Amino acid sequence: MTDDLPLSPLEEDEALAAEYVLGVLSLADRSAAEARIKNDSAFAARVAAWETRLADLNGAYAEVAPDPALLPRIEARLFAAPARPARRPLFGWLAGALTAAAVAIAAVVLLAPPAPAPIVATLGEEGAALRFEARFDGQELTVTRVAGSAAPQGQVQEVWIIAPDAAPVSLGLMEGDSIAVPYPEAPAGWTIAVSVEPAGGSPTGAPTGPVVAAGVITDL
Amino acid sequence: MTTEEDPVAELLLKVAAQDRAAFREVYSRCAAKLLGVLLRILGNRAEAEDALQEVFTRIWLRAGRFDATKGRGMTWLIAIARNHAIDRLRARPDDPPRDDTDMLDQVRDTAPTAENRLIAMGEAGRIADCFATLEPDRAEAVRGAYLNGLSYADLAARFDVPLNTMRTWLRRSLLRLRECLDT
Repeated sequence: MTDDLPLSPLEEDEALAAEYVLGVLSLADRSAAEARIKNDSAFAARVAAWETRLADLNGAYAEVAPDPALLPRIEARLFAAPARPARRPLFGWLAGALTAAAVAIAAVVLLAPPAPAPIVATLGEEGAALRFEARFDGQELTVTRVAGSAAPQGQVQEVWIIAPDAAPVSLGLMEGDSIAVPYPEAPAGWTIAVSVEPAGGSPTGAPTGPVVAAGVITDL
Repeated sequence: MTTEEDPVAELLLKVAAQDRAAFREVYSRCAAKLLGVLLRILGNRAEAEDALQEVFTRIWLRAGRFDATKGRGMTWLIAIARNHAIDRLRARPDDPPRDDTDMLDQVRDTAPTAENRLIAMGEAGRIADCFATLEPDRAEAVRGAYLNGLSYADLAARFDVPLNTMRTWLRRSLLRLRECLDT
């Protein structure tokens, strides 16, 4: 064995790509490898080659049928669906407690005449270089950039909602200047924030980049 | 690789063009496999189903980056699921080394034995042969990491060696594996 010889720089890259695909790295090392994948096409190709090499192991994963309710939930999350008062909550872990309130609010909204969606939160001070507004029309929470521009090339602005004392939950990526997410209600006192993430969004499911704007949802 | 031989790849190209019917078709073909991946790595049904929603969100948002000339559709989907599950594992605040032997026992159970290795060849391809060229412990470490999401810390605890030793072993094993797989 040649375990004691140091690896050449090329071997180092190759080993890092393999370690990344294997999944053995710490979160910090994984994030660093992901940043390289985005910026270094040779390294990205090494990673893709390892995904293919190890794909023969995928046969060992069993198939497990998901709960039939999952696909409708995913579609509701991704595609703006027509309003239904009893729509299932979108983010299981945070929305459970909100269901009853959502039903009540959605019912009220359905009876109300159409009106411009009210602003429920402003992110960034008046006159700030980068500012966002959140509006809620009873079905969708819409976050729009009203001042400033998109993240630089290779990065993206990601929108988060944060319940008091809870971890942020991603509402999605600001690919244009606005995102709309079906949402059961606009919970007063929760925070909406925008962070800058690598293209494709936070690799961890939690904000990793700087928070560039934030605001608290106010009572309608 | 043409998409004619890879129906999932063909569907992903349609998903990239915002085709919702194709998205549903990808789900009906692949969700059970991806949930199997997530469940094995995360070890918890509720979290695995939550992760599955996130994985399909990413599939919808990232389908435009899938390149059918670089690999199969299913391989791409499983990579998204594995990466997301491993990110979740590594982000757990108290991620203690999983030094119990259950995870590796599970690997042993599914690892091809000498006799069924021949049967599994069609599916396992060259990789079973190449694993056989590694020391058994090291092959087991590679397999355990890939299938169950074990970290270096988990592996070091399981094999009772310092983390750096584990890393040196595994990196050497991976490079030898590549040499074998690529020839």
